[in-house]
Amino acid sequence: MERGGMVHALEEIHRILKPTGILIDIHPVNEAMSVEVHHEGNIDLVSPWSVSQWRTDYQHADNALAKVVQRGLFIVERKIEFDSLTYYSSIEEMRTDLKEAVDKFAREDQPAGEVEPDFETLAARAEELMEKAAHGAELVARERAQISRLIPT
Amino acid sequence: MVDFSDKRVFEIGCGEGRLTWRYADKTARVTAIDPNAEQIELAREQIPEHLQDRIEFHNSAFENFAAASAPSSFDIVILSWAL
Repeated sequence: MERGGMVHALEEIHRILKPTGILIDIHPVNEAMSVEVHHEGNIDLVSPWSVSQWRTDYQHADNALAKVVQRGLFIVERKIEFDSLTYYSSIEEMRTDLKEAVDKFAREDQPAGEVEPDFETLAARAEELMEKAAHGAELVARERAQISRLIPT
Repeated sequence: MVDFSDKRVFEIGCGEGRLTWRYADKTARVTAIDPNAEQIELAREQIPEHLQDRIEFHNSAFENFAAASAPSSFDIVILSWAL
């Protein structure tokens, strides 16, 4: 969602939500995600992975929520953090998924260097660890996220 | 965190329905939107048979969909990685 539209979107949600309704917001926290290899109960870190643009967007999402709460449109009843895990069946699938995510959230005004992480280094490191790990190893992206329950006032 | 029983739910940013399948069977009705046409097509293709009458997917940006929605239409709104 465009940064400038977040507060307006929350105002619209307030309008279309029943007075007794609930808003559930799920979005990542402002931390780097990590790519990992899971095998036989062990977790090997391939690499932390972060796109500065995403983290800026997450911060804007937090700010937009804080703003509508401050204005008295919503009350935060509960907020918890959790790990969102994405399992990949292959390194190629991971590469495609992460590239699509970068493209999806890239902004026209964003310098290219900030939205083009080094996929090749990440993929090579993942391949190395997958080969070392036992059969049945899994390639996983871990993203810390938060889920908030808000009620309209 | 939420009781979905007999609730009218609006999910924003549903993608291919990964989250939608997990709660929809408890609801009265789910309206789910995503601006990505390919993801919505996937969601429509993958919708479980027992949920077909309960979920409607729309390829739409939130701003457009909300503008056409009446006030107090939903019991629960879910922003799914959408802000």
